[in-house]
Amino acid sequence: MNTNVVEKAATPKLSIAMEERKALRANPAKAVAEKLDFWYGTNQALKNINLVIPENQVTALIGPSGCGKSTFLRCFNRMHDLQADTRYSGSIMLHPESVNLVGKDVDPIEVRMRIGMVFQKPNPFPKTVFENVAYGLRLRGFSNRTDLAERVEKALRGAAIWDEVKDRLTDSALALSGGQMQRLCIARALATEPEILLFDEPTSALDPIATAKIEELITELRQRVTILIVTHNMQQAARVSDFTAFMYLGELVEVDATSKIFTNPSKKATEDYITGRYG
Amino acid sequence: MDAAVMQASDPTEPHTSSTVDQSVAGLRMHALEMGALVIEQVAGAVKSLVERDATLAQVVLARESRVDEYEKQLDRDSLTFIALQQPVANDLRLARAIVRIGRELERAGDEAKKIARFALSLDKANDGDPVLAVGRQLRHMAALSGSMLRNAVRAADEMDPGLARSVLERDAELDAEFAAALRLVMSYVLQDHRFLRPTIDTIFALKGLERIGDHATNIAEQVLYMMGQDRQQADAA
Amino acid sequence: MSAVMTIEELRRGLSWRKNLDKVFVVVGLLILMSCLGLLALLFLDLVRDGASRFGWDFLTQFPSRKAERAGILSAWVGTSMIMLVTAIVALPVGVAAAIYLEEYAPKNWFTGVIEINVTNLAGVPSIVYGLLALGLFVYKFGFGQSVLAAGLTLALLILPIIIVGTREALRAVPKAIREAAYGLGATRWEVTKDHVLPYSTGGILTGLILGLSRAIGETAPIITIGALSFIAFLPDSPISGEFPFVNFAWLRSEFTAMPIQIFNWVSRPDQAFQQNAAAAAAILLGMTLAMNAVAIWIRYRFRKKINW
Repeated sequence: MNTNVVEKAATPKLSIAMEERKALRANPAKAVAEKLDFWYGTNQALKNINLVIPENQVTALIGPSGCGKSTFLRCFNRMHDLQADTRYSGSIMLHPESVNLVGKDVDPIEVRMRIGMVFQKPNPFPKTVFENVAYGLRLRGFSNRTDLAERVEKALRGAAIWDEVKDRLTDSALALSGGQMQRLCIARALATEPEILLFDEPTSALDPIATAKIEELITELRQRVTILIVTHNMQQAARVSDFTAFMYLGELVEVDATSKIFTNPSKKATEDYITGRYG
Repeated sequence: MDAAVMQASDPTEPHTSSTVDQSVAGLRMHALEMGALVIEQVAGAVKSLVERDATLAQVVLARESRVDEYEKQLDRDSLTFIALQQPVANDLRLARAIVRIGRELERAGDEAKKIARFALSLDKANDGDPVLAVGRQLRHMAALSGSMLRNAVRAADEMDPGLARSVLERDAELDAEFAAALRLVMSYVLQDHRFLRPTIDTIFALKGLERIGDHATNIAEQVLYMMGQDRQQADAA
Repeated sequence: MSAVMTIEELRRGLSWRKNLDKVFVVVGLLILMSCLGLLALLFLDLVRDGASRFGWDFLTQFPSRKAERAGILSAWVGTSMIMLVTAIVALPVGVAAAIYLEEYAPKNWFTGVIEINVTNLAGVPSIVYGLLALGLFVYKFGFGQSVLAAGLTLALLILPIIIVGTREALRAVPKAIREAAYGLGATRWEVTKDHVLPYSTGGILTGLILGLSRAIGETAPIITIGALSFIAFLPDSPISGEFPFVNFAWLRSEFTAMPIQIFNWVSRPDQAFQQNAAAAAAILLGMTLAMNAVAIWIRYRFRKKINW
């Protein structure tokens, strides 16, 4: 073994946890939730949430049932507005334009056009594969056939499903397998080039192989879009995310780099939850 | 022959998750780098002893901290890998084996450091110094343990169970060399009790080399463990 | 600790429950067969009575004082035209109302009141609709005793059926589909137009056909607004040979309908007219069954295309 190899091996890197913490400071924030409260009628579901969502990173929300993680997620694309008697207070600022996503004067439709969502159970429209992906584009006024075809292909490639459906674009989307349907839903959301992509327990209805493919896809996608994922599967949060936020009873308990949370969290409540000592 | 024993499991095969692939590759790369460093340390320490090269001995002592850093990092990286990716089966065995290999390498590095320190303490050897007398055995043992270490690290790099087993086999040879050298040195003391202190030091140096061989053996065992072929199975086969 | 019950006890209880199960199957089947049987008997009876009358002549002749020469031409043409008007009026109004109630209306007391009343309207006696139509359509709006008035009356009658049927069809669209559409930034109307409506079309059409099946046999309202019982002419044809090729004069025309004609013939003492009535009734029943068959076929085709 020659000395060159040894000399090249410079001083080993710093602790990874510290590195990711630095990333938190280094990455620009894509969205910042500040003093966010949320009410369903008289029931306060979210209490004083303050959270930074870094750009082009995957942030995971974990916590027991009813902790408010899905509620918080759905604030980002104003899905709560579809129900009566809901109220927001505080802000979620989307950068770089500093738009308050939950502001009263901000149009929810506009918010939903900039923030995409993938749901728990794959829910493709009962249309063809092509039309599923094209729908969001049509809403935005794209009607030129070649244009649509290009963008649809780009989205399907981005969702790692192009090869499987390129010969079946005019087949019904419902003929696909569960994992393929979910990737189609991801393509549908990607087609409109959202600034943040929200995942609400995206693999809880899928088998392990489909789950692994989608987790791998999420890891790749973060280079292009900021990702916020809610999961009740902590191990998935550990595998897939850069930052993890633990929520409990509507409050944010702890948020940190994933490697820190899962090796040495700061709060006892967090450690109790992830080690299964909760409840 | 049980087919399961013959089938080696290769943890370096790619996974669906590229993150896992990267983590595994990272762990292996750092272990290899550390191995290369320790092999250099051992070679340098022995050379400094045999050729009475104080400068080389200083270099070895200065680099020792890097060895420690590598071990700490392997430990941390492996912990993170286990916590975040929940590896099982061959991935889990790899994570544990890498940590153990790191520990063995660190200890081998420690032995090298001690040998280098011994080399430094010899200002000049008088004729009749026991160190010179066992010079041939020292070089022999150094060559043997150095080669065992090299092969163990290479076996880890190439995931080669045959090479790992060959390292295990040479342990006996090293022990025999050590016993012979020990006898030779002891005879010196019996001749002239002035040489007691340098004799003890020399014995420690020889013991250090023998231990390095032991560490190489342990590394080879971890390689077999990684591939799902434990030593008992290796013996049975 | 002893078991809750022994195996023998378990088996005894089980056989008793299974027998009860079988009894229910038998009873249910008997009841179903009797109902269907009665209907079949009625139909066969009508067919038998009116057998001599079936034929192309019957369908293409006007009523006449001579039973053998009487036909139902004006009756079934009248019925068809009325059904056309009814469908054209009831469908858009009913579907729009249902869409409003289901998708747009806020869930408050006012909407609750509307919903209750829609269901109540289904129970209003049809003669009341007739009276309403007489006052409103025939006199107030001046449509006269026409196909238009009759069509509007029956449209009002079946409106609740359409609304309820459409609402059920809209509700059958899974929430997940709507969420996905909203998630992409669609407005409420876009969600309704692009996703909810296309996939409830089957259900909506089924509701329409059910409504029309009810309307086709409604006699009281159309008598009230003045359907004639002896018409020897047809309303003007909607298609004419010159521009604009379609005219609406037929809407204002006087008319008769199948139920009227049947009632008229049944009231005559002459046995021959009884046969006419039976034949007409059988044909009316046949028209209803045919409409239902169309509904089922449409539903089947839509279910095949769209699979939740």
